[in-house]
Amino acid sequence: MAEEKTSTPGPSILGIRSLRKSFGELAVLTDISLSVDRGNVVSIIGPSGSGKSTLLRCASFLERADGGDILYDGQYALRDGVYAPKTELNRFRTKFGLVFQNFQLFPHYSVMRNICEAPILHGTDREEARERALTLMRKMGLEGKENAYPYQLSGGQQQRVAIARALAMKPEILYFDEPTSALDPELTGEVLKVIRQLAEEKMTMVVVTHEMPFAKAVSNHVIFMAGGVIVEQGDPLAVFEDPKEERTKQFLRVFER
Amino acid sequence: MSLMTMIIKMSEGLGKTCAIFFLTLLFSLPLGMIVALLRMSRVRIVSAITRAVITVLRGTPLMLQLLAVTYGPYYLFGATVARNKLIPVVIAFSINYAAYFAEIYRGGIESIPIGQYEAAEVLGYTKLLTFLRIILPQVIKRIMPSVTNEVVTLVKDTSMAFTVSYQEMFTIGKQIANSQTSFLPFIVAGVFYYLFNVIVDYVMGRIEKRLDYYK
Repeated sequence: MAEEKTSTPGPSILGIRSLRKSFGELAVLTDISLSVDRGNVVSIIGPSGSGKSTLLRCASFLERADGGDILYDGQYALRDGVYAPKTELNRFRTKFGLVFQNFQLFPHYSVMRNICEAPILHGTDREEARERALTLMRKMGLEGKENAYPYQLSGGQQQRVAIARALAMKPEILYFDEPTSALDPELTGEVLKVIRQLAEEKMTMVVVTHEMPFAKAVSNHVIFMAGGVIVEQGDPLAVFEDPKEERTKQFLRVFER
Repeated sequence: MSLMTMIIKMSEGLGKTCAIFFLTLLFSLPLGMIVALLRMSRVRIVSAITRAVITVLRGTPLMLQLLAVTYGPYYLFGATVARNKLIPVVIAFSINYAAYFAEIYRGGIESIPIGQYEAAEVLGYTKLLTFLRIILPQVIKRIMPSVTNEVVTLVKDTSMAFTVSYQEMFTIGKQIANSQTSFLPFIVAGVFYYLFNVIVDYVMGRIEKRLDYYK
Protein backbone atom coordinates (compact mmCIF):
# COMPACT_ATOMS: atom_id res chain seq x y z
CA MET A 1 0.00 0.00 0.00
CA ALA A 2 1.76 3.12 1.25
CA GLU A 3 3.59 3.41 -2.03
CA GLU A 4 5.33 6.73 -2.14
CA LYS A 5 5.05 9.23 -4.91
CA THR A 6 8.15 10.81 -6.26
CA SER A 7 8.59 13.98 -4.28
CA THR A 8 11.21 15.67 -2.24
CA PRO A 9 12.47 13.01 0.08
CA GLY A 10 12.67 14.24 3.61
CA PRO A 11 12.12 12.69 6.94
CA SER A 12 9.03 14.64 7.84
CA ILE A 13 5.96 14.69 5.64
CA LEU A 14 4.03 17.09 7.80
CA GLY A 15 5.51 19.94 9.77
CA ILE A 16 3.49 22.34 11.88
CA ARG A 17 5.05 25.29 13.64
CA SER A 18 3.49 27.75 16.06
CA LEU A 19 0.05 27.15 14.62
CA ARG A 20 -2.72 29.43 15.87
CA LYS A 21 -6.42 29.32 15.30
CA SER A 22 -9.33 31.06 16.97
CA PHE A 23 -13.05 31.05 16.37
CA GLY A 24 -13.94 34.64 17.13
CA GLU A 25 -12.76 35.34 20.63
CA LEU A 26 -12.16 31.70 21.42
CA ALA A 27 -8.56 30.59 20.93
CA VAL A 28 -8.82 26.96 19.87
CA LEU A 29 -5.17 26.38 19.03
CA THR A 30 -2.30 28.35 20.50
CA ASP A 31 1.26 27.73 19.45
CA ILE A 32 1.02 24.15 18.19
CA SER A 33 4.22 22.64 16.84
CA LEU A 34 4.76 19.08 15.73
CA SER A 35 6.19 17.05 12.93
CA VAL A 36 5.26 13.70 11.49
CA ASP A 37 7.93 11.49 9.99
CA ARG A 38 7.38 9.02 7.19
CA GLY A 39 6.08 5.66 8.34
CA ASN A 40 5.10 6.96 11.74
CA VAL A 41 1.75 6.75 13.45
CA VAL A 42 0.94 9.70 15.65
CA SER A 43 -2.00 9.59 18.03
CA ILE A 44 -3.53 12.76 19.34
CA ILE A 45 -5.45 12.35 22.56
CA GLY A 46 -7.05 14.78 24.94
CA PRO A 47 -10.38 15.93 26.36
CA SER A 48 -13.10 17.12 24.00
CA GLY A 49 -12.73 20.76 23.09
CA SER A 50 -8.98 20.56 23.37
CA GLY A 51 -8.49 21.41 19.68
CA LYS A 52 -7.50 17.97 18.38
CA SER A 53 -9.98 17.93 15.54
CA THR A 54 -9.34 21.56 14.69
CA LEU A 55 -5.66 20.74 14.38
CA LEU A 56 -6.41 17.99 11.84
CA ARG A 57 -8.82 20.27 10.03
CA CYS A 58 -6.15 22.96 9.79
CA ALA A 59 -3.65 20.41 8.49
CA SER A 60 -6.17 19.37 5.81
CA PHE A 61 -7.08 22.99 4.94
CA LEU A 62 -10.70 22.60 6.04
CA GLU A 63 -10.10 25.35 8.58
CA ARG A 64 -7.97 28.39 7.89
CA ALA A 65 -5.32 28.90 10.53
CA ASP A 66 -4.64 32.43 11.79
CA GLY A 67 -0.91 32.10 12.16
CA GLY A 68 2.08 29.79 12.06
CA ASP A 69 3.45 27.42 9.42
CA ILE A 70 2.20 24.23 7.81
CA LEU A 71 4.72 22.34 5.70
CA TYR A 72 4.30 19.32 3.50
CA ASP A 73 7.56 17.63 2.52
CA GLY A 74 9.39 20.71 3.71
CA GLN A 75 7.39 23.03 1.45
CA TYR A 76 5.24 25.78 2.85
CA ALA A 77 1.49 25.43 2.55
CA LEU A 78 1.14 28.10 5.20
CA ARG A 79 3.95 30.44 6.04
CA ASP A 80 3.62 32.77 8.96
CA GLY A 81 -0.15 32.85 8.61
CA VAL A 82 -0.14 33.31 4.83
CA TYR A 83 -1.41 30.50 2.61
CA ALA A 84 0.28 29.35 -0.57
CA PRO A 85 -1.63 30.04 -3.82
CA LYS A 86 -4.65 27.88 -4.59
CA THR A 87 -2.88 25.72 -7.17
CA GLU A 88 -0.13 24.97 -4.66
CA LEU A 89 -2.70 24.04 -2.01
CA ASN A 90 -4.37 21.70 -4.49
CA ARG A 91 -1.04 20.01 -5.02
CA PHE A 92 -0.54 19.63 -1.25
CA ARG A 93 -4.08 18.26 -1.01
CA THR A 94 -3.03 15.22 -3.02
CA LYS A 95 -0.54 14.36 -0.28
CA PHE A 96 -3.04 13.70 2.47
CA GLY A 97 -6.28 11.85 2.98
CA LEU A 98 -8.84 12.41 5.69
CA VAL A 99 -11.22 9.98 7.34
CA PHE A 100 -14.13 11.69 9.06
CA GLN A 101 -15.88 10.78 12.27
CA ASN A 102 -19.19 10.50 10.41
CA PHE A 103 -17.71 8.77 7.34
CA GLN A 104 -19.19 11.31 4.91
CA LEU A 105 -19.58 8.76 2.18
CA PHE A 106 -21.54 9.94 -0.83
CA PRO A 107 -24.94 8.29 -0.25
CA HIS A 108 -25.99 8.32 -3.89
CA TYR A 109 -22.87 6.48 -5.05
CA SER A 110 -22.21 2.78 -4.87
CA VAL A 111 -19.24 1.67 -2.77
CA MET A 112 -17.24 1.28 -5.96
CA ARG A 113 -18.02 4.77 -7.23
CA ASN A 114 -17.34 6.27 -3.79
CA ILE A 115 -13.86 4.80 -3.94
CA CYS A 116 -12.87 5.26 -7.56
CA GLU A 117 -14.48 8.47 -8.75
CA ALA A 118 -11.93 10.86 -7.26
CA PRO A 119 -8.90 9.00 -8.70
CA ILE A 120 -10.62 8.92 -12.11
CA LEU A 121 -11.27 12.66 -11.90
CA HIS A 122 -7.57 13.06 -11.19
CA GLY A 123 -6.66 11.25 -14.38
CA THR A 124 -6.30 7.66 -13.28
CA ASP A 125 -7.35 5.22 -15.96
CA ARG A 126 -10.86 3.90 -15.31
CA GLU A 127 -9.88 0.24 -15.32
CA GLU A 128 -6.87 0.84 -13.16
CA ALA A 129 -8.96 2.80 -10.65
CA ARG A 130 -11.48 -0.04 -10.49
CA GLU A 131 -8.75 -2.60 -10.01
CA ARG A 132 -7.19 -0.57 -7.23
CA ALA A 133 -10.59 -0.09 -5.60
CA LEU A 134 -11.21 -3.84 -5.65
CA THR A 135 -7.81 -4.49 -4.09
CA LEU A 136 -8.50 -1.94 -1.38
CA MET A 137 -11.94 -3.38 -0.72
CA ARG A 138 -10.47 -6.85 -0.30
CA LYS A 139 -7.99 -5.41 2.14
CA MET A 140 -10.71 -3.67 4.09
CA GLY A 141 -12.79 -6.85 4.24
CA LEU A 142 -15.43 -5.46 1.89
CA GLU A 143 -15.44 -8.15 -0.78
CA GLY A 144 -18.63 -8.29 -2.77
CA LYS A 145 -19.82 -4.90 -1.56
CA GLU A 146 -18.84 -2.91 -4.65
CA ASN A 147 -22.43 -2.45 -5.80
CA ALA A 148 -23.87 -1.81 -2.35
CA TYR A 149 -24.95 1.67 -1.31
CA PRO A 150 -23.71 3.19 1.93
CA TYR A 151 -27.11 2.94 3.65
CA GLN A 152 -27.00 -0.83 3.18
CA LEU A 153 -23.79 -1.12 5.20
CA SER A 154 -23.10 -1.13 8.92
CA GLY A 155 -21.28 1.81 10.42
CA GLY A 156 -18.09 -0.18 10.63
CA GLN A 157 -18.32 -1.14 6.97
CA GLN A 158 -19.09 2.44 5.97
CA GLN A 159 -16.02 3.67 7.80
CA ARG A 160 -13.89 1.04 6.08
CA VAL A 161 -15.25 2.23 2.73
CA ALA A 162 -14.26 5.76 3.77
CA ILE A 163 -10.75 4.55 4.54
CA ALA A 164 -10.56 2.78 1.17
CA ARG A 165 -11.81 5.94 -0.53
CA ALA A 166 -9.05 7.97 1.10
CA LEU A 167 -6.40 5.36 0.28
CA ALA A 168 -7.48 5.20 -3.37
CA MET A 169 -5.98 8.67 -3.79
CA LYS A 170 -2.60 7.24 -2.73
CA PRO A 171 -2.01 9.76 0.02
CA GLU A 172 1.38 10.02 1.64
CA ILE A 173 -0.21 10.70 4.99
CA LEU A 174 -3.63 9.74 6.26
CA TYR A 175 -5.57 11.66 8.89
CA PHE A 176 -8.24 10.11 11.06
CA ASP A 177 -10.63 12.37 12.94
CA GLU A 178 -12.06 10.18 15.72
CA PRO A 179 -12.73 7.34 13.28
CA THR A 180 -14.61 5.18 15.75
CA SER A 181 -16.53 7.78 17.75
CA ALA A 182 -19.70 7.44 15.68
CA LEU A 183 -19.68 3.65 15.84
CA ASP A 184 -21.45 1.23 18.11
CA PRO A 185 -18.93 -0.24 20.53
CA GLU A 186 -19.02 -3.68 18.91
CA LEU A 187 -18.05 -2.17 15.56
CA THR A 188 -15.00 -0.15 16.63
CA GLY A 189 -12.79 -3.24 16.61
CA GLU A 190 -13.07 -3.89 12.89
CA VAL A 191 -12.12 -0.31 12.05
CA LEU A 192 -9.22 -0.21 14.49
CA LYS A 193 -8.03 -3.48 13.03
CA VAL A 194 -7.64 -2.06 9.53
CA ILE A 195 -5.88 1.02 10.88
CA ARG A 196 -3.52 -1.25 12.78
CA GLN A 197 -2.93 -3.21 9.60
CA LEU A 198 -2.06 0.02 7.78
CA ALA A 199 0.34 0.91 10.57
CA GLU A 200 2.10 -2.41 10.10
CA GLU A 201 2.52 -1.54 6.44
CA LYS A 202 4.20 1.71 7.49
CA MET A 203 1.43 3.99 6.31
CA THR A 204 2.02 7.43 7.78
CA MET A 205 -0.97 8.37 9.90
CA VAL A 206 -2.22 10.92 12.39
CA VAL A 207 -5.11 9.62 14.47
CA VAL A 208 -7.27 11.73 16.74
CA THR A 209 -8.77 9.16 19.05
CA HIS A 210 -10.36 8.37 22.38
CA GLU A 211 -9.31 4.72 22.13
CA MET A 212 -6.44 4.74 24.61
CA PRO A 213 -5.40 1.07 24.34
CA PHE A 214 -5.32 1.50 20.57
CA ALA A 215 -3.23 4.69 20.76
CA LYS A 216 -0.85 2.98 23.11
CA ALA A 217 -0.47 -0.16 21.03
CA VAL A 218 -0.38 1.21 17.50
CA SER A 219 1.27 4.61 17.55
CA ASN A 220 4.93 5.42 17.86
CA HIS A 221 4.25 8.91 19.05
CA VAL A 222 1.50 10.26 21.28
CA ILE A 223 0.46 13.87 21.63
CA PHE A 224 -1.69 14.93 24.55
CA MET A 225 -3.58 18.15 23.93
CA ALA A 226 -5.63 20.24 26.30
CA GLY A 227 -6.96 23.75 26.03
CA GLY A 228 -5.50 24.31 22.58
CA VAL A 229 -1.91 23.46 23.46
CA ILE A 230 0.21 20.36 23.33
CA VAL A 231 0.65 19.54 27.00
CA GLU A 232 2.86 16.53 26.59
CA GLN A 233 4.15 14.34 23.80
CA GLY A 234 6.48 11.46 23.30
CA ASP A 235 6.79 7.73 23.16
CA PRO A 236 3.43 6.06 23.92
CA LEU A 237 4.89 4.08 26.79
CA ALA A 238 6.31 7.20 28.36
CA VAL A 239 3.12 9.21 27.97
CA PHE A 240 0.78 6.46 29.10
CA GLU A 241 2.86 4.79 31.81
CA ASP A 242 4.82 7.69 33.16
CA PRO A 243 3.17 11.02 32.27
CA LYS A 244 5.12 14.04 33.42
CA GLU A 245 2.35 16.62 33.43
CA GLU A 246 -0.41 16.81 35.99
CA ARG A 247 -3.08 17.38 33.30
CA THR A 248 -2.00 14.29 31.42
CA LYS A 249 -2.16 12.21 34.60
CA GLN A 250 -5.58 13.59 35.39
CA PHE A 251 -6.87 12.85 31.89
CA LEU A 252 -5.49 9.32 31.78
CA ARG A 253 -6.86 8.50 35.21
CA VAL A 254 -10.38 8.70 33.80
CA PHE A 255 -9.59 5.82 31.45
CA GLU A 256 -8.19 3.57 34.15
CA ARG A 257 -10.94 1.39 35.38
CA MET B 1 -74.47 23.50 -27.67
CA SER B 2 -74.01 19.83 -26.86
CA LEU B 3 -71.56 18.61 -24.24
CA MET B 4 -69.55 16.93 -26.98
CA THR B 5 -69.17 20.20 -28.90
CA MET B 6 -68.03 21.91 -25.69
CA ILE B 7 -65.44 19.24 -25.04
CA ILE B 8 -64.13 19.43 -28.59
CA LYS B 9 -63.97 23.22 -28.58
CA MET B 10 -62.24 23.30 -25.24
CA SER B 11 -59.72 20.60 -26.17
CA GLU B 12 -58.63 22.85 -29.00
CA GLY B 13 -57.19 25.07 -26.26
CA LEU B 14 -55.39 22.20 -24.54
CA GLY B 15 -52.35 22.64 -26.76
CA LYS B 16 -51.98 26.18 -25.49
CA THR B 17 -52.52 25.05 -21.91
CA CYS B 18 -49.73 22.51 -22.42
CA ALA B 19 -47.57 25.18 -24.03
CA ILE B 20 -47.83 27.37 -20.91
CA PHE B 21 -47.19 24.37 -18.68
CA PHE B 22 -44.15 22.94 -20.43
CA LEU B 23 -42.52 26.23 -21.36
CA THR B 24 -42.93 27.49 -17.80
CA LEU B 25 -41.23 24.38 -16.44
CA LEU B 26 -38.52 24.59 -19.09
CA PHE B 27 -37.59 28.12 -18.06
CA SER B 28 -38.47 28.29 -14.37
CA LEU B 29 -36.68 25.11 -13.23
CA PRO B 30 -33.20 26.30 -14.30
CA LEU B 31 -33.97 29.97 -13.57
CA GLY B 32 -34.97 28.96 -10.05
CA MET B 33 -31.52 27.44 -9.55
CA ILE B 34 -29.83 30.67 -10.61
CA VAL B 35 -32.09 32.63 -8.27
CA ALA B 36 -31.35 30.18 -5.43
CA LEU B 37 -27.62 30.58 -5.93
CA LEU B 38 -27.95 34.38 -5.99
CA ARG B 39 -30.08 34.18 -2.86
CA MET B 40 -27.29 32.21 -1.14
CA SER B 41 -24.54 34.48 -2.45
CA ARG B 42 -21.98 35.52 0.11
CA VAL B 43 -22.09 39.01 -1.38
CA ARG B 44 -24.56 40.60 1.00
CA ILE B 45 -26.11 43.05 -1.45
CA VAL B 46 -26.77 40.31 -4.03
CA SER B 47 -28.53 38.02 -1.58
CA ALA B 48 -30.48 40.96 -0.10
CA ILE B 49 -31.77 42.11 -3.49
CA THR B 50 -32.63 38.56 -4.53
CA ARG B 51 -34.44 38.03 -1.30
CA ALA B 52 -36.47 41.22 -1.81
CA VAL B 53 -37.40 40.18 -5.35
CA ILE B 54 -38.51 36.74 -4.15
CA THR B 55 -40.64 38.38 -1.46
CA VAL B 56 -42.42 40.50 -4.06
CA LEU B 57 -42.93 37.59 -6.45
CA ARG B 58 -44.32 35.35 -3.74
CA GLY B 59 -46.18 38.09 -1.94
CA THR B 60 -48.28 39.42 -4.84
CA PRO B 61 -50.88 37.55 -6.90
CA LEU B 62 -49.69 35.71 -9.97
CA MET B 63 -52.69 37.18 -11.75
CA LEU B 64 -51.41 40.67 -11.07
CA GLN B 65 -47.95 39.75 -12.33
CA LEU B 66 -49.55 38.31 -15.43
CA LEU B 67 -51.37 41.59 -16.10
CA ALA B 68 -48.24 43.61 -15.31
CA VAL B 69 -46.06 41.68 -17.75
CA THR B 70 -48.70 41.67 -20.49
CA TYR B 71 -49.98 45.24 -20.28
CA GLY B 72 -47.28 46.96 -18.22
CA PRO B 73 -45.14 47.85 -21.26
CA TYR B 74 -48.16 49.48 -22.88
CA TYR B 75 -49.01 51.64 -19.89
CA LEU B 76 -45.40 52.48 -19.10
CA PHE B 77 -43.89 53.08 -22.53
CA GLY B 78 -46.87 52.97 -24.86
CA ALA B 79 -45.46 49.78 -26.37
CA THR B 80 -47.88 47.67 -28.36
CA VAL B 81 -49.31 44.72 -26.46
CA ALA B 82 -47.78 41.49 -27.74
CA ARG B 83 -50.07 39.89 -30.30
CA ASN B 84 -49.03 36.39 -29.23
CA LYS B 85 -49.98 36.41 -25.57
CA LEU B 86 -48.03 33.20 -25.01
CA ILE B 87 -44.83 35.22 -24.65
CA PRO B 88 -45.89 37.50 -21.76
CA VAL B 89 -47.79 34.62 -20.15
CA VAL B 90 -44.77 32.34 -20.16
CA ILE B 91 -42.50 35.16 -18.96
CA ALA B 92 -44.79 35.95 -16.03
CA PHE B 93 -45.30 32.29 -15.11
CA SER B 94 -41.60 31.47 -15.40
CA ILE B 95 -40.48 34.33 -13.21
CA ASN B 96 -43.14 33.62 -10.61
CA TYR B 97 -42.45 29.90 -10.47
CA ALA B 98 -38.70 30.47 -10.45
CA ALA B 99 -39.15 32.35 -7.17
CA TYR B 100 -40.91 29.37 -5.62
CA PHE B 101 -38.48 26.84 -7.05
CA ALA B 102 -35.56 28.96 -5.81
CA GLU B 103 -36.75 28.67 -2.24
CA ILE B 104 -37.28 24.94 -2.63
CA TYR B 105 -33.78 24.55 -4.05
CA ARG B 106 -32.31 26.66 -1.29
CA GLY B 107 -33.96 24.53 1.36
CA GLY B 108 -32.62 21.41 -0.34
CA ILE B 109 -29.10 22.74 -0.75
CA GLU B 110 -28.94 23.93 2.85
CA SER B 111 -30.10 20.53 4.10
CA ILE B 112 -27.00 18.77 2.74
CA PRO B 113 -24.46 18.33 5.55
CA ILE B 114 -21.35 20.48 5.28
CA GLY B 115 -19.32 17.29 5.64
CA GLN B 116 -20.28 16.29 2.10
CA TYR B 117 -18.58 19.41 0.76
CA GLU B 118 -15.57 18.78 2.99
CA ALA B 119 -15.21 15.16 1.93
CA ALA B 120 -15.30 16.23 -1.72
CA GLU B 121 -12.82 19.04 -1.10
CA VAL B 122 -10.30 16.74 0.55
CA LEU B 123 -10.67 14.31 -2.35
CA GLY B 124 -9.80 17.11 -4.74
CA TYR B 125 -13.20 17.71 -6.36
CA THR B 126 -13.45 21.21 -7.77
CA LYS B 127 -16.23 23.44 -6.44
CA LEU B 128 -18.23 22.96 -9.62
CA LEU B 129 -17.86 19.18 -9.64
CA THR B 130 -18.75 19.03 -5.96
CA PHE B 131 -21.97 20.85 -6.69
CA LEU B 132 -22.89 18.95 -9.84
CA ARG B 133 -21.93 15.45 -8.76
CA ILE B 134 -22.19 15.35 -5.00
CA ILE B 135 -24.64 18.01 -3.87
CA LEU B 136 -27.17 18.45 -6.69
CA PRO B 137 -28.21 14.79 -7.05
CA GLN B 138 -28.91 14.60 -3.32
CA VAL B 139 -30.79 17.91 -3.44
CA ILE B 140 -32.99 16.73 -6.31
CA LYS B 141 -34.01 13.62 -4.40
CA ARG B 142 -34.85 15.59 -1.28
CA ILE B 143 -36.91 18.26 -3.01
CA MET B 144 -38.95 16.02 -5.30
CA PRO B 145 -42.12 16.07 -3.12
CA SER B 146 -42.07 19.88 -2.93
CA VAL B 147 -41.40 20.20 -6.65
CA THR B 148 -44.31 17.87 -7.40
CA ASN B 149 -46.52 20.17 -5.35
CA GLU B 150 -45.52 23.15 -7.44
CA VAL B 151 -45.96 21.30 -10.72
CA VAL B 152 -49.47 20.22 -9.74
CA THR B 153 -50.27 23.80 -8.81
CA LEU B 154 -48.87 25.01 -12.13
CA VAL B 155 -51.31 22.80 -14.05
CA LYS B 156 -54.21 24.57 -12.37
CA ASP B 157 -52.59 28.00 -12.50
CA THR B 158 -52.45 27.89 -16.31
CA SER B 159 -56.14 28.77 -16.12
CA MET B 160 -55.14 32.26 -15.03
CA ALA B 161 -54.11 33.02 -18.59
CA PHE B 162 -57.78 33.85 -19.19
CA THR B 163 -57.14 37.24 -17.52
CA VAL B 164 -55.12 38.28 -20.56
CA SER B 165 -57.45 36.44 -22.96
CA TYR B 166 -54.90 33.90 -24.06
CA GLN B 167 -56.98 31.27 -25.84
CA GLU B 168 -56.07 28.28 -23.71
CA MET B 169 -58.56 25.67 -22.58
CA PHE B 170 -60.01 27.51 -19.60
CA THR B 171 -60.36 30.80 -21.49
CA ILE B 172 -62.37 29.04 -24.19
CA GLY B 173 -64.44 27.29 -21.52
CA LYS B 174 -65.19 30.60 -19.83
CA GLN B 175 -66.28 32.11 -23.15
CA ILE B 176 -68.60 29.20 -23.83
CA ALA B 177 -69.98 29.43 -20.30
CA ASN B 178 -70.78 33.10 -20.86
CA SER B 179 -72.35 32.72 -24.27
CA GLN B 180 -74.36 29.63 -23.34
CA THR B 181 -75.08 30.68 -19.74
CA SER B 182 -74.01 27.23 -18.70
CA PHE B 183 -71.89 25.92 -15.86
CA LEU B 184 -71.03 22.80 -17.80
CA PRO B 185 -67.78 24.16 -19.34
CA PHE B 186 -66.36 24.70 -15.87
CA ILE B 187 -67.02 21.08 -15.00
CA VAL B 188 -65.37 20.00 -18.23
CA ALA B 189 -62.38 22.22 -17.34
CA GLY B 190 -62.22 20.68 -13.88
CA VAL B 191 -62.14 17.18 -15.35
CA PHE B 192 -59.41 18.22 -17.81
CA TYR B 193 -57.21 19.64 -15.03
CA TYR B 194 -57.79 16.62 -12.87
CA LEU B 195 -56.81 14.20 -15.64
CA PHE B 196 -53.77 16.34 -16.44
CA ASN B 197 -52.69 16.10 -12.81
CA VAL B 198 -53.26 12.36 -12.69
CA ILE B 199 -50.62 12.15 -15.42
CA VAL B 200 -48.36 14.61 -13.59
CA ASP B 201 -48.66 12.57 -10.39
CA TYR B 202 -47.80 9.39 -12.24
CA VAL B 203 -44.75 10.88 -13.95
CA MET B 204 -43.43 12.54 -10.79
CA GLY B 205 -44.02 9.31 -8.88
CA ARG B 206 -41.93 7.45 -11.45
CA ILE B 207 -39.11 9.95 -11.10
CA GLU B 208 -39.22 9.71 -7.31
CA LYS B 209 -39.13 5.96 -7.57
CA ARG B 210 -36.08 6.08 -9.80
CA LEU B 211 -34.30 8.13 -7.14
CA ASP B 212 -35.27 5.59 -4.52
CA TYR B 213 -32.17 3.45 -4.93
CA TYR B 214 -30.44 5.08 -1.97
CA LYS B 215 -31.39 6.68 1.31
